[in-house]
Amino acid sequence: MASYDKTEIADLIDGSMPWPSTRAIMSAHKDDDRFDKYLSILQERVPWHHPILLPIGEHLYIVQSGENRIVKCDCGHEFGSYQDNWKNQALIRVRGDRESIAEIYPGRYTCDPEWMELREFICPGCVTLLEVEAAPPGFPIVFDFLPDLEGFYEDWLGKSLPQEA
Amino acid sequence: MTATPITEPQSVTTLHERLLESERLLKETDSYAGLENLELRAADPLKYESMHTKLRSMVVSAREMARRISASPGVREVGESVVAIYTPEGDAIALSTGIMVHVHTASRFIKWMIQNGYEESPGIRPGDIFANNDAFIGTVQAPDVIITIPIFHEDELIGWVAAVAHELEVGGITPGGDVALSQERYTEGLMVCAEKVGYDDELRRDYLIRLERNLRMPIYWVLDDKAKVAACLEVRKQVRELIDEVGLDYYKRATKEFIEEGRRAQLARVRQLTVPGRYRGHTFFGHVTEGKQGVLPQGNRNWLYAIPMEMEVTRQGKLSLDFDGTNSWGYHSMNCTPAGMDGGMFVTLTQHMNFDGKVNDGAWLATDMNLPLGTWTNPDKETVATATSWALLLPAFGCFQRMLSRGFLGRGYKEEVFVGQVNSPMMEMGGESQYGGDFGIALFECAAAGSGALGIKDGLDTAYVGWNPESDMGNMEIWEQDMPMVYLGRTISPNSGGFGRYRGGSGFESLWAVTNTELLIPATSEHSSRVFDNAGMCGGYPAPTVQLHHSVKDAGIEQRAAERKPLPHSIGDNPYESDIERLTDGQTKIDEGPYLAEPLQSGDLFAHSYNGGGGYGDPLERDAGSIARDVANGYVTADAAENVYGVVVESNDNTSTVNAEATQSRRRNIHDERLANALPVSEWIEQTRSRVADGDFAPEVREMYRDSMELSPRFAGEFRNFWSLPSDYEIAKRSRR
Ligand SMILES: [Zn+2]
Repeated sequence: MASYDKTEIADLIDGSMPWPSTRAIMSAHKDDDRFDKYLSILQERVPWHHPILLPIGEHLYIVQSGENRIVKCDCGHEFGSYQDNWKNQALIRVRGDRESIAEIYPGRYTCDPEWMELREFICPGCVTLLEVEAAPPGFPIVFDFLPDLEGFYEDWLGKSLPQEA
Repeated sequence: MTATPITEPQSVTTLHERLLESERLLKETDSYAGLENLELRAADPLKYESMHTKLRSMVVSAREMARRISASPGVREVGESVVAIYTPEGDAIALSTGIMVHVHTASRFIKWMIQNGYEESPGIRPGDIFANNDAFIGTVQAPDVIITIPIFHEDELIGWVAAVAHELEVGGITPGGDVALSQERYTEGLMVCAEKVGYDDELRRDYLIRLERNLRMPIYWVLDDKAKVAACLEVRKQVRELIDEVGLDYYKRATKEFIEEGRRAQLARVRQLTVPGRYRGHTFFGHVTEGKQGVLPQGNRNWLYAIPMEMEVTRQGKLSLDFDGTNSWGYHSMNCTPAGMDGGMFVTLTQHMNFDGKVNDGAWLATDMNLPLGTWTNPDKETVATATSWALLLPAFGCFQRMLSRGFLGRGYKEEVFVGQVNSPMMEMGGESQYGGDFGIALFECAAAGSGALGIKDGLDTAYVGWNPESDMGNMEIWEQDMPMVYLGRTISPNSGGFGRYRGGSGFESLWAVTNTELLIPATSEHSSRVFDNAGMCGGYPAPTVQLHHSVKDAGIEQRAAERKPLPHSIGDNPYESDIERLTDGQTKIDEGPYLAEPLQSGDLFAHSYNGGGGYGDPLERDAGSIARDVANGYVTADAAENVYGVVVESNDNTSTVNAEATQSRRRNIHDERLANALPVSEWIEQTRSRVADGDFAPEVREMYRDSMELSPRFAGEFRNFWSLPSDYEIAKRSRR
């Protein structure tokens, strides 16, 4: 079975590994110890100590915080229970008129604001753009991912969910 | 060792009975053909793998051979074909590269013949050739013509081989294959409905006469069919030789084990690469045809399609997709059949989960789809048109790719994270050719769009389409031989890839001068209007997939060339005024939606654009050096670099460099603008609620909600719940008068 050093995984997930090596990893059988190394790399990078249970975005993680499992940004901002949509606790910038859409999509590239608006979900802590939705006005916000954490850890990984130390 | 024969009950004698038995075994034992163990694999893995490799090399080499003898540039230049081997019941065992979407649609076609008594009439005998392009029997759209032949061993039918090619002309109401203007089956062109088109290994003369008399450019279909028959015969011969070598019992058992192994591998792959749970996403498509020339009264309107999707991954590893909440089929060409939806699922799985080992129908058996009856995914009427199914199918399976990618991201396989496929708008045409006489063709350079970004790098520029992972746009000179137009340019479209830390792959645009014809009828399809039919991921933006057509009557190109004035070669990088408007003499006409307008003739210009893919990650995190490179190469304009990425790039003749100080300040500004213009989601919901309660939307948006709420109680409930609306909230039907 394939297995890679933590430094290799770090380069790979950061997009800084040279393409021939990346390509070789993409073409090979997957390394089954990836998840542990991945979590360990991410855990070392964040400035807080809640155990990461599952990454769900570029900056977002489900973490164990005391008795609770919450969504947390790497900047430390907390978005509440992972069973609720983190977007509801974010800042939103809606581009719903021609002028604000044109800042990103000028002239002939624009969508019609009557048919589609852009919703930028922003972290209140670090102001990172976490997700962009393009949807008709009135379309409910999407809850992207509700993982089955118990099934994942217990059935698939064969271990219990990490607890806060 | 000798293989354990597959024991079939004495009563199972006909193909139909075998098919029912196979379905029963799958249902009752939860494994293909009731196989508990992969006996042959365990006993002699080398022999087993060697047989699989042989089958696979047969179909790959047969496809290559067919490409060499085929006439149509679709097959020859851009590889729009695929060859596969099936079990007697019609399950795919091994397949070639190419348009793999059709491996499973051919499976539907074979099963359909078995289910419909073809053993009795018209009979299935050695040497017979069957063809189908009816999407409700088993294909995606009319141009996808499938040829299949049975493989007999002595008196016993022991399998099928099928070859599919996308034909460039099908004789519909508008020229080409993806018949843009078809709104019902009756205008989609020539239909071959699971027909016996040949015997004794030869196509029937009366079938060929039908093709010759009903197509604008029969040579493509006729010669492609001959190439497909040749490929099938070659595979049949080699399968028989293989059976002589390994024995019939071994062949039967091993091919079933391949499929069961494929099924188990799919479940294992889901458990290896994803996370169990509920994934959601959506995409939209705008189809603007109201008042256009030739549109039938029942479809004379604009359509906004919502495609909300849910994917469930169970603890077992079973993956199911649910299209609940999407909209009704309509009198346009974008409807899809369950066979087409299967094809979309199958081709996507072959790229993300099922790309090594036993690529076959086993993967499909480990998945499930809910296609609500009456929606575009499963019309409750078999006379609806499906000529441009891709229009809705590709955005939907692009969304599927994003949902899968959320799982890959969770597991740390970021190199597999992919923002997904996009539509690649089709340009087709007919009229009088440059050689005199009628012609019709699909200009298949669309088979090379931009891809969505990856989780670790930019998307592919002009090098990917979901339906054929071996993407190719073909040579301009080849296309010029087949149409009365010459290229003034074929150019990367700047800013066509979605912005992001990793940008979406770029699309391209072509600009042509019409020559040597008095009548050129362009017809285009599969481009969304008014809404982007793709999305970004993790902070990346969607690609701007709202394509417009630029055409100019009497553009004065010859005159301008004689006077040595500059000529347009692309639409150009000014979003407010195109090079076509600036650098031609005639009036530039800009058309939204499918081009169904005035024909063109010599002296006119026409431009068509192909899409880029969505971006990944916050654009402010994109490395400034990469943006300087994008600007230098024309992938991104300096304006977009500054406005969206906050990177100030200064260019002179030879170099583009980043102004670090100005960049830092501009990025700080974007950060501040974000905060200044944002509000908590809860406040936004509070502010927006009354607009929703009043139904204050454009008519097409209202109709989309009304239709989704009527079709799906779940969608209606979630909509009311999200906006805290009363339980009797509904949107009234718009009067058609
Ligand atoms: Zn943050």
